[in-house]
Amino acid sequence: MRRILPWLLWLWLALVIWAAFFYAPLAEGFVGQSSRILFFHVPMAWVSFVAFLAAGAWSIRFLAGGRRERDDHAAEAAVQLGLLFCVLATVTGAIWAKVMWGAYWNWDPRQTSIVLAMLFYAAYLALRTAVEEPEARRRLAAAYAVLGLVVAPFLFFVLPRLTFSLHPDTVVNTRGRVEMESRMLQVLAASSLAFTVLFFWIHRIQVRLKARAERALPGRTTP
Amino acid sequence: MSRAASTWLSEAVAVFTKDWRCELRTRYALNTVLLFALTTLVVVSVALGPLGADQQARGAVLPMLLWLILLFAAAAGLPRVFGHEEEKHTATALRLAATPSALFAGKLAFSLVLFFAIEALTAPLFLAMMQLPVAHPGRFVAALAAGGYGLAAASTLVAAIVGQARGQSTLFAVLSFPVLLPLLLLAIAATRAAVLGGDAGAELTQLVLYDASMTIVGLMLFPVIWNP
Repeated sequence: MRRILPWLLWLWLALVIWAAFFYAPLAEGFVGQSSRILFFHVPMAWVSFVAFLAAGAWSIRFLAGGRRERDDHAAEAAVQLGLLFCVLATVTGAIWAKVMWGAYWNWDPRQTSIVLAMLFYAAYLALRTAVEEPEARRRLAAAYAVLGLVVAPFLFFVLPRLTFSLHPDTVVNTRGRVEMESRMLQVLAASSLAFTVLFFWIHRIQVRLKARAERALPGRTTP
Repeated sequence: MSRAASTWLSEAVAVFTKDWRCELRTRYALNTVLLFALTTLVVVSVALGPLGADQQARGAVLPMLLWLILLFAAAAGLPRVFGHEEEKHTATALRLAATPSALFAGKLAFSLVLFFAIEALTAPLFLAMMQLPVAHPGRFVAALAAGGYGLAAASTLVAAIVGQARGQSTLFAVLSFPVLLPLLLLAIAATRAAVLGGDAGAELTQLVLYDASMTIVGLMLFPVIWNP
């Protein structure tokens, strides 16, 4: 079963890519085919959101639940992957912005938020490299990740309201309704699911690699 | 007041008085941070001049410059709040002597007084040198107070993290700016509204919300950061 699951995931992803171009209709009011980037941009943003949230949750578990190395590895891997997806969301967003708005970058509130989120989690990784002692590194990094959970609401809920945004409504819009053509919604849901599973799959591998690297460190006895 | 609460409070006050006594002996933070703020203010003022900015743009640009000066002054002085304890190897004694949350409260009070003093000297000077009239002085002071509190609280918390790492001063900027930027954008918007005479109610509420969440998360996280 273990062997088959990745292949199922690849098949699912291939299907999503096909559906994004040939099954889903175009959205109204968008230039050319540009609305199709939605099926990749939104899942990237969603996965990075999930990753950063999960990193915060693992950090809380690390601090509150016995300081297990495993939780720290999980948090670090989640931040690294979250940053990758965050970059992908930013790039896909910028390409779309060039087509729709005429400029790759214009500090739309959503762009501001995502850049600040990236800066924050890049700083998290910088902090990890600046503390040599492993125990202190884990403790301080976890504390900083928890601090991120406090700053995030200001980034994602307060700042976007500060100025006018050109960004299209998020999937569930401010009126609290989902207003999307049903075939587009199907593809978007399938794509989000696929990339979320992809994230957790890579994450699992990363955590196992980190645990292995930890065991291989010289001067360390393993039980 | 219960006994536990009174010892907590007296510990916090003791940390606060100890820090101010040390500070007044050397006046290191006061001198450097104040001079730093003054120097940047002079640079900005000379570069821009009283008539340098376009009349329409002044109300929008100058509040931002004021907050940038304050941000860099904070980054120059506040990391020392914990940095000097580690440098002089007094951190271990503090760990043994004080309850972590009381220690954080004392350090936070120290940073607040220091930063409010800097704001009280820098802001009027800035307004005078830039010849910037303020439409709502009350809202201006409120924006400075709410923004300054958040800036000092977040900086104190990050300083506690950075104190135990290598390359403190650079790392402090890297770690604190993403945390401080939402606050800074809100504070700039509130100050701008106060200068131009607009409504700053929503921004001020959000600033107070930021201040409160920083204080609470600081009191909760600090024991973890402080104790190995």
